[in-house]
Amino acid sequence: MPNDRATPISPPVHTRPDAGTQREFEELFASVAADAYGVALRLTRNAADAEDLVQESALRAYRGFAGFERGTNFRAWLLRIITNGYFERYRVERRRPVQIDLEDAPDLYLYGRFADAGLDTRGTNPAEVLFEKLDTEQVMMAIDALPDEYRVAATLYFMQDLSYEEIAQVLDVPIGTVRSRLHRGRKLLQKALWQVALDHGLVGERQGDR
Amino acid sequence: MSPLARYTCLETFQRLDDFVDHELSEEEQRLVQEHLATCEMCAGEYRFEASVLDQVRAKIRRIMVPSGLIARVSARLAASRDAEEPSGG
Repeated sequence: MPNDRATPISPPVHTRPDAGTQREFEELFASVAADAYGVALRLTRNAADAEDLVQESALRAYRGFAGFERGTNFRAWLLRIITNGYFERYRVERRRPVQIDLEDAPDLYLYGRFADAGLDTRGTNPAEVLFEKLDTEQVMMAIDALPDEYRVAATLYFMQDLSYEEIAQVLDVPIGTVRSRLHRGRKLLQKALWQVALDHGLVGERQGDR
Repeated sequence: MSPLARYTCLETFQRLDDFVDHELSEEEQRLVQEHLATCEMCAGEYRFEASVLDQVRAKIRRIMVPSGLIARVSARLAASRDAEEPSGG
């Protein structure tokens, strides 16, 4: 079984950087800028806020760069500053565009809905028949139906291919917490995806519409 | 000598999420794999779950980074350094 403690990430330490440090930081930042912006955009759902969040986080990371242990995972370190920044500044009571019952997270939810609707659950990529009807915005609506803790973990998981350990480092929670948020989150996400598809008339309750 | 370990459908199902994410130990990964190779029902459930995750990943991943983002960040870093230069004495 995997170790349940994530390797801790050193906290930012505030010192005044010199020009060489700025170059070093900029090189590291450039190598993960796309990841940073992608996560920021998916969290804030807004290009202007995403850029603000990335800029503010980069500045904060730069000022605390002395606390970054060289040779460790810079991407996880920066993503942690970004998710913290998001929680501090942008998290507000969101209006959830899709309402699902968060108490009930059944196993194999979509698999069951597919079967009920007469959609084929076999083949090498069976979910494709649903996803070829859903656009990115609709998939994001489903992710937005998740409570924030689940949504942030799911965003890191889907966008970045981070391991449980890396997500634990970014969120500063035990690996077991990451595991349960991801597993429960994906069950809730399946409900939300089906709800979005129903709301948009992309699937029928009883039979497939293909 | 103990009998060859095999997972039941339930034992396999309980590990499916971790299996999909390659988060099991080598031994558990192998036992799940072996079960899936012999149980079409579990294999079908596994393919479906993995397929959902792959599809979500493919949908939300494509993002264009705004042009000039890195330059704008660099400018802010430089401005921040200048602002912190000691003002003499």
